[in-house]
Amino acid sequence: MTDLNAMSDEAFRAEVRRFVEAEYPPELRNPPHRLHWEQGKPWFEKLRARGWVAPGWPRELGGMGLDASKQIILIEEYERHGVARLPDHGVIMLGPLLIRFGTEEQRQRFLPRILAGEDIWCQGYSEPGAGSDLASLRTEAVLDGDHYVVNGQKIWTTLATDANWIFCLVRTDKSAKKQDGISFLLIDMKMPGVTVRPIINLALHDEFCEVFFDNVRVPKENLVGEPNKGWSMAKALLGFERIFLGSPRQSGYALARLKLLAERMGVSDDPDFADRYTRLRMDLEDHKDLYETYVAVLRRGETLGPDVSMLKLHQAELFQRITELMLEIAGEHAGLLEPMEGNRDLHPAGQFIEARPTTIYGGSSEIQRGILAKNVLGLPG
Amino acid sequence: MSAALDNDELAEATRLLRESAAGIAPRGGDRRRVRALRFQPPGFDPALLRAMGEQGWIGLRLPEEKGGAGLGLTALCALAEELGAALAPEPLIPAMLSAALLAAVDAEAPLDGLLSGEALVLTAWQEAPSALAAPGTAEAPRLFIPQAGGASAFLVPVRQGDGMALLLQPAESAELSLQKTQDGGFFGTLRPGSGTPIGTVSPGILADALEEAALATAASLLGVMDQTFTLTLDYLRTRQQFGRPIGSFQALQHRAADLQIQIALSRASIAAAAALLDEGQAPRAERRAAVSRAKARASDAAMLVTRQAIQLHGGIGYTDEADISLYLRKAMVLASQFGSAAMHRRRFAEEAREDEA
Repeated sequence: MTDLNAMSDEAFRAEVRRFVEAEYPPELRNPPHRLHWEQGKPWFEKLRARGWVAPGWPRELGGMGLDASKQIILIEEYERHGVARLPDHGVIMLGPLLIRFGTEEQRQRFLPRILAGEDIWCQGYSEPGAGSDLASLRTEAVLDGDHYVVNGQKIWTTLATDANWIFCLVRTDKSAKKQDGISFLLIDMKMPGVTVRPIINLALHDEFCEVFFDNVRVPKENLVGEPNKGWSMAKALLGFERIFLGSPRQSGYALARLKLLAERMGVSDDPDFADRYTRLRMDLEDHKDLYETYVAVLRRGETLGPDVSMLKLHQAELFQRITELMLEIAGEHAGLLEPMEGNRDLHPAGQFIEARPTTIYGGSSEIQRGILAKNVLGLPG
Repeated sequence: MSAALDNDELAEATRLLRESAAGIAPRGGDRRRVRALRFQPPGFDPALLRAMGEQGWIGLRLPEEKGGAGLGLTALCALAEELGAALAPEPLIPAMLSAALLAAVDAEAPLDGLLSGEALVLTAWQEAPSALAAPGTAEAPRLFIPQAGGASAFLVPVRQGDGMALLLQPAESAELSLQKTQDGGFFGTLRPGSGTPIGTVSPGILADALEEAALATAASLLGVMDQTFTLTLDYLRTRQQFGRPIGSFQALQHRAADLQIQIALSRASIAAAAALLDEGQAPRAERRAAVSRAKARASDAAMLVTRQAIQLHGGIGYTDEADISLYLRKAMVLASQFGSAAMHRRRFAEEAREDEA
């Protein structure tokens, strides 16, 4: 494979653009919800054939070995084309964690299977009693000889029905302070005692699930890093991907659909609508400028501080405000279950519902405001 | 942007500019200087304006061959931000507007006096509230001339065919009335009279100078809101109620986080507009849209932050004695100067290209 890092940014961008325009399945552009593995597989196969499954992994481990600047270009071009996110927890979360904290044996065992699409991973962090307060999680792993015995329940597990492995934060020391007794454990979902139940969300899609563990016996070599150090490892992994939760893509796409809807509803020239639309446009353009300042930090090879919370917070609320204006102008169409006139881009109700979870997932807006207040502004705890 | 300077040199020049601004008008400390000057004609310190002239700030944007420093909008915005944070009442931005026009017609004597800070020339361009366009109507009274009581002359643009004639009106013979402003300064209203023609510029020259003044004013507002927020955070950390610092209450923490986002958006928007103007390649409509976006954001955000600062300070925030009130008053004046948020939103809607999104 050619060294992509050696290419100029412009040449690399053109290369990515050519690739997605030629190879990305058109029917999968801008899907309204997360793709299941089977739906996204044709695209995964294209990525696999090209060796482009894992942009951030080192080349000697089968990744593209891209530096931060090239990874940003790749994602920008994917976003521009409306490329859907695949079930990618193996590539984005587990891979980097094993590369940094895993044993050689764990890397040899798991990484090639992720690249081959043989193992599909999901993430078991949240629990019914541990959402925003994740460190209070109670799913427990007790050492019994060479195995951990796992009991408990995870929830909001994205695409768990598609996965055959789950990486979990589990409690291994109940006597320690909350963050200190947590370990990082890899669990084969085909083991006896693992049950998955899909949850139908507000969009009537089975995107996330509950996962139950009933005396599941997990070999102790499946623990990553040191016991009771799982929390700090997982936190260290909240790396530069956090910026992409603040990408202007969602809001930009929604604003274009708001414009289309306004034309269809004949309100484009209504002064009240025009003023509100202009405000949203300006919010989006200012957001892009703010986003670019963080991209510039990454391009310089520096790390992001906790203030990146601002991006996610502002993007999510802007996306919601855009879809709220859609509902206001749509009249009775605001109550329709299906898109108007069979046009996927004219679906105010669907867009409104699609925007709801953005202020909840990835750290709710309330949590993000708390982070800003305490870790950025230095307000007392 | 001066072609002679590379990026590092430019960053260094900007840093030095901030440092000398802090030396002349520091953002910290008490606001005794500001208080002593307010509501007393001319509403600013002429000696400090001279010091700004000696620093080369009035000619900051002029090329070196016209006696200027040849620096760009990024540098100007850094300077304006510092002086905004310091609540400096000296009319530097209006003076720079006049310098651009005087330089365009090579009016050496008034320009030299202006650049040295000795003889303030103010441009009397505005004919209506909330405007950024100068129609140049010969007879129309010129409104809202900032710190007009300190001017030694006024520059009155008058439309003549395709051009804009500039009339220089000495202050002694000017028909001028003054109104006090919330921040302790004075707005002048001028009835155009017997000015001396000193040359004609294309209306685009005046329009471009007004764009720069609007962007610099946005940067001043950024300084105002940034310093207001710093003082408010200090207060939230120290003020105790119910046995705890009030900054530990979640309702106030979340409000502070929202203010921080507005400040960050303002900063990003202003920096992007300054970079776009400095780069010099963008079409006029795009430049105007960028300036409008920055000024609209800064005006709204500065009003939000200063309003909330009063609220977060509680009863003391409603006293004239508390310095926090000075920032609100400054924002009230600057928010509409060189175009209000509403005016700039309208202009953005007209000028901005619809994105492919």
